[in-house]
Amino acid sequence: MSNTQPAPVASERIELKARNVAFEWTDTPLHWLPGHPFATHTINVLHLLLPAGERWFVHVYKQALPLITDDRLREDVIGFIGQEAMHAAAHDDVLPHLRRQGLDPTPYTAQVDWMFEKLLGDRTLPPGRARRWWLLERIAMIAAIEHYTAFLGNWVLNADELDRRGADPVMLDLLRWHGAEEVEHRSVAFELFMHVDGSYRRRVRTWASAFTALVFLWQRGARFFMENDPTLTAGRASFGQFYRAGREGVLPSTPDMLRSIPRYLSRAYHPSQEGSTSQAAAYLAASPGANGRAR
Amino acid sequence: MAAGSRAAGFAAAAGAAWLAKRALRTRIRRSPLWPLPALETPVSGHSPRRTLRATVVARTEAADGVVHLRLASPELPAWTPGAHVDLLLPSGLVRQYSLCGDPAETGTYEIAVRRAEDGRGGSREVHDRLAEGAEVQLRPPRNRFPLEPATRHVFVVGGIGITPVLPMLRALGPEADWTLLYGGRSRASMPFLPELARHGDRVTVVPEDEAGRPDLSFLSSAGPGTAVYCCGPEPLMAAVEEAAPAGVPVHLERFTAAAPAAGRPFTLELRRSGTTVTVAAGESALTAVRRALPDTPYSCTQGFCGTCQHRVLTGPVDHRDTLLTDEERTTTMLLCVSRAEGDHLVLDV
Repeated sequence: MSNTQPAPVASERIELKARNVAFEWTDTPLHWLPGHPFATHTINVLHLLLPAGERWFVHVYKQALPLITDDRLREDVIGFIGQEAMHAAAHDDVLPHLRRQGLDPTPYTAQVDWMFEKLLGDRTLPPGRARRWWLLERIAMIAAIEHYTAFLGNWVLNADELDRRGADPVMLDLLRWHGAEEVEHRSVAFELFMHVDGSYRRRVRTWASAFTALVFLWQRGARFFMENDPTLTAGRASFGQFYRAGREGVLPSTPDMLRSIPRYLSRAYHPSQEGSTSQAAAYLAASPGANGRAR
Repeated sequence: MAAGSRAAGFAAAAGAAWLAKRALRTRIRRSPLWPLPALETPVSGHSPRRTLRATVVARTEAADGVVHLRLASPELPAWTPGAHVDLLLPSGLVRQYSLCGDPAETGTYEIAVRRAEDGRGGSREVHDRLAEGAEVQLRPPRNRFPLEPATRHVFVVGGIGITPVLPMLRALGPEADWTLLYGGRSRASMPFLPELARHGDRVTVVPEDEAGRPDLSFLSSAGPGTAVYCCGPEPLMAAVEEAAPAGVPVHLERFTAAAPAAGRPFTLELRRSGTTVTVAAGESALTAVRRALPDTPYSCTQGFCGTCQHRVLTGPVDHRDTLLTDEERTTTMLLCVSRAEGDHLVLDV
């Protein structure tokens, strides 16, 4: 028997809907993971990347809808679009809160905005092959990025160490609501890519660009926060700190991250093989932010 | 000899590496994602729907049952006369209040709120909980009642409806040609009378307990070039619309959302697709559009996610979402909740 075909796990599929969330940031401290500015800021990089990144997902997927010939997949993509739009808005709301605490993220986010709106935007391409190629390329990049958002979502749902260290409950709720929706819709981006193209060469190529970009953006983001944090003197970010925080359980562990690479590149990969939809659904049913109890 | 030149080469390489590292560090300090450029107008973190925080720095009684609040914060953006803000009350209620201060005073907003005992609780909460020193949250100002240039401005306001007009009078200045008819229940209940007194006979004050309902017949003589602005209770606004002659624009500002008019049927022309669809009374524009174009993007169907935002080419829109900014509303609509104000719309679809 061949095991080189992506094998979805049927029981992991769930109907997707956008949730109208609200988070109240007034009481969230700058170092919301007490005593651990490096882990706080490494996770904070999400707030720098996701507003622009997820708006870009929505922009690209709206163009992808006409390419879909499968009704069930179309419903999934529509649910995905709504969830991503809400993620972008919820993370965007954290940025003014950081500015109020003396850490203005604009120098960094304006560059991320440029990257997603210009570098990865529509460009002036003639209709036809060039435009289609660029759309497929971006759909494949999103599938690769979603492999990591699902990885991080699964990690944060199980990161008990954050609770043990007294992480701010509102920030934890934002991360876990978002993480749970990433786990819930983790198959959509990959299935869309397989539906419209599925070329293995494109999968490897776009994984390489997405992975390189994520490492670049994260390293610079953590460094930006550590160097500009008004409460730290000579704050620095280094790989050593990242590795140790991973061992402590306050960030994903380096070996786990390395092990996720060959999984995405395996020809038998399907996102439903990792993470648990029922765990995500259970969190979403209880999340204060997703159930109108944030105030 | 050879060892000496190797050492010199090593030192030169080390020096070059140190210089390169220092140059890179300087660049990254100035530009965190160097070599990427920045978008000229940043988007992330500058959403027109973000939450602002301010402090109540002054609270006075502007009239019987009307409290006048001064809010201050370095985060408050600039605004134009006629603008309102969403106040996010501690209980979770969201209420709209017109800004009645001076746009030139950066960093402060002023609002005036009448206590409505029979209302839905927003004004009672402002009166009972927003004492001096209280922290409040609000959203950046939006202007659905902007002051447009005209040769003559006629303002008709009822009670607390005076608030958006006050900054307009200041903006027009003493040279401009304007009149104000200000009605209310009684002088004691009408805010800002002392401030208006200095405008002399351009302001007509009509307290109902002294002079009855204001007489609007003068509006029928409004000539071309006149713009009428009205803010007040629904019957007053209906009467002003009725009294103004055709061709004279009437600008209305509603405090309360117009009663959620059951959807009326209308037609939607989809210009790029070359078809026209009919939206029945009981269905959304989105449903009708999707009958013709099944790939039309949408998601939440409740007006909050923004996926079904589309460009409108002609026809006034009855916007019923909670998402779009004024600027977006001038050219786009959300198909899932908003409808035509008349009976026809043209979309760029």
